[in-house]
Amino acid sequence: MAILGKTHGRLFLSPLAAFLLLFLGFPALVNLVYSVSTVSFETLRSPTLSGFGNYLTVVRDGEFWRAFGFSLRFGLLTALAECLLGLFLAVFLAPLLSKRPILLAPLMLPLMVAPAMVGLMYRLVLHEFAGPVPYYLFEWFGDSPAFLDPQTAFWTLAVVEVLQWTPFAFLLFYAAYLAIPDALREAAALDGAGAWKILRFIELPLMMPTLVIAFFIRFIDGFRVFDNIYALTGAGAGGSTTSLSMFIYQAFFKEGAIGKAVAASVILFIASLLFLMSLNRLARLRRR
Amino acid sequence: MVAVLRWIVFAVAAFAMNFPVIVTLVTSFKSARELSSNPGLTVSAPTLANYASVLAETERFNIYNYLLNSLVASLLGTGIAIVLTLPAAYAVARSEVGQRLLLPLVINLRALPLVIFAIPLYMMYQWLGLLDTRLGLGLILAIVNIPLALVILVNAVNDISPELDEAAMMDGASPLRVMFSIVRPVIRPALVTTFIFGFITAWNEFLFGLMLTTANAVPTTVGASFFFAASGGGVQWGTASAVMILGALPPALLGLIMYRQISGSMTAGALKG
Repeated sequence: MAILGKTHGRLFLSPLAAFLLLFLGFPALVNLVYSVSTVSFETLRSPTLSGFGNYLTVVRDGEFWRAFGFSLRFGLLTALAECLLGLFLAVFLAPLLSKRPILLAPLMLPLMVAPAMVGLMYRLVLHEFAGPVPYYLFEWFGDSPAFLDPQTAFWTLAVVEVLQWTPFAFLLFYAAYLAIPDALREAAALDGAGAWKILRFIELPLMMPTLVIAFFIRFIDGFRVFDNIYALTGAGAGGSTTSLSMFIYQAFFKEGAIGKAVAASVILFIASLLFLMSLNRLARLRRR
Repeated sequence: MVAVLRWIVFAVAAFAMNFPVIVTLVTSFKSARELSSNPGLTVSAPTLANYASVLAETERFNIYNYLLNSLVASLLGTGIAIVLTLPAAYAVARSEVGQRLLLPLVINLRALPLVIFAIPLYMMYQWLGLLDTRLGLGLILAIVNIPLALVILVNAVNDISPELDEAAMMDGASPLRVMFSIVRPVIRPALVTTFIFGFITAWNEFLFGLMLTTANAVPTTVGASFFFAASGGGVQWGTASAVMILGALPPALLGLIMYRQISGSMTAGALKG
């Protein structure tokens, strides 16, 4: 039973729909047209159709695949690390935090700081003369690695990302953990189950949907990473830290290769849609 | 024993995750002389000189402008998102339209890499004269905020008993009036949460600020990075730290004050979406 008739419903939806059409629908259309055109900054408004050359350029570009590989590895690795760390913190700290909820605030603070700002802050943290990390490593061990070399930059960035976003996974898991009825734990304890067994056979299975959701949210965010990498390395480190977002940004702003950048955008768009559609289908199958 | 271990784990986690903020905060209180001799986590002679010099500099690097740009664009981006999603949320919750197409579309939008739309938006803004304006940035920030705003508000309206607005409609109130005078006051907490969350997200946005502004409408996240590139003789770490602290302060304070609401909406937004 609906309170609002269809006409009114459509009317109430229309401002949002119009806004989305203008700011996302129209750009998506422009993307499609420009990706099969020859265009430069001089002929921005009069692209000439030229077929699928731009897509070929992208697909044959080793840099594109390198960026794709970076994004994929970065997304998977950081999402996994964040979920494992977040799960541990949520379960282990729950008795402490449920008594003193104010302690949640410092654990959430990293989520409030702009990733770009965090990237800039790490420039200071890791700086070879001004940064405390190299300073203390030299003090204590007499040596400090180069954190932003082509070989090490990936791991440095992964640690930066994980330290900032573990709180997100932690928060989700903590809420899911608190939502488990105490009666279930008590019943299991009466049956003689220890803390490990309760965790393994009761708590973890009940938290599983949240774990899966958190993993995918963090994977998607890690895959499209841009801000902190740009701020920290400016995609330097010999191009070893170029994510897919960074690839598109550079193709457009640094090289002026509009066709290539737009074609890469469309490829990313379609890949994301396929990925999301299969996720949604998976979720629907599970619910049934 | 375990209780002590919990405190230790908490302290280590809080320290490690907030490490860049702690380092920046400490560095922002160091004098130029101390900076060159002591990169550690202690300050022997704390000073406010770095903040004073940041706030005094208005020629090459005007932090007031960056902060004001961030403020105006974030308020616009959050306000527009709420104005657009409130009626849409009401329609999704109370009518038979919107659930099949619009809602899933908008929710999935949150998972799309928005860089996909950046290039055509750049061209569109060039045509419309919106490049490097606060309004232009605010409109994009609204797009960034819309998905979560819609999820939170739809959930909030769904939580109200339909009898409330049914009764009002029986009395002859128009749907617009019911939404505005009956439903809006009831979901006020959700609206506040949406606003706080949207403001923090908008303030912290970087990619579109970087692409769509150059001089007049540069937000703080982008302006702070200029500061690193512009100083020719190497970065002035003391003043740079003061800039980063000032730029990170508004969302951090807001977040710390409202941490309960934010953790609640973050989990709800993730799980119900």
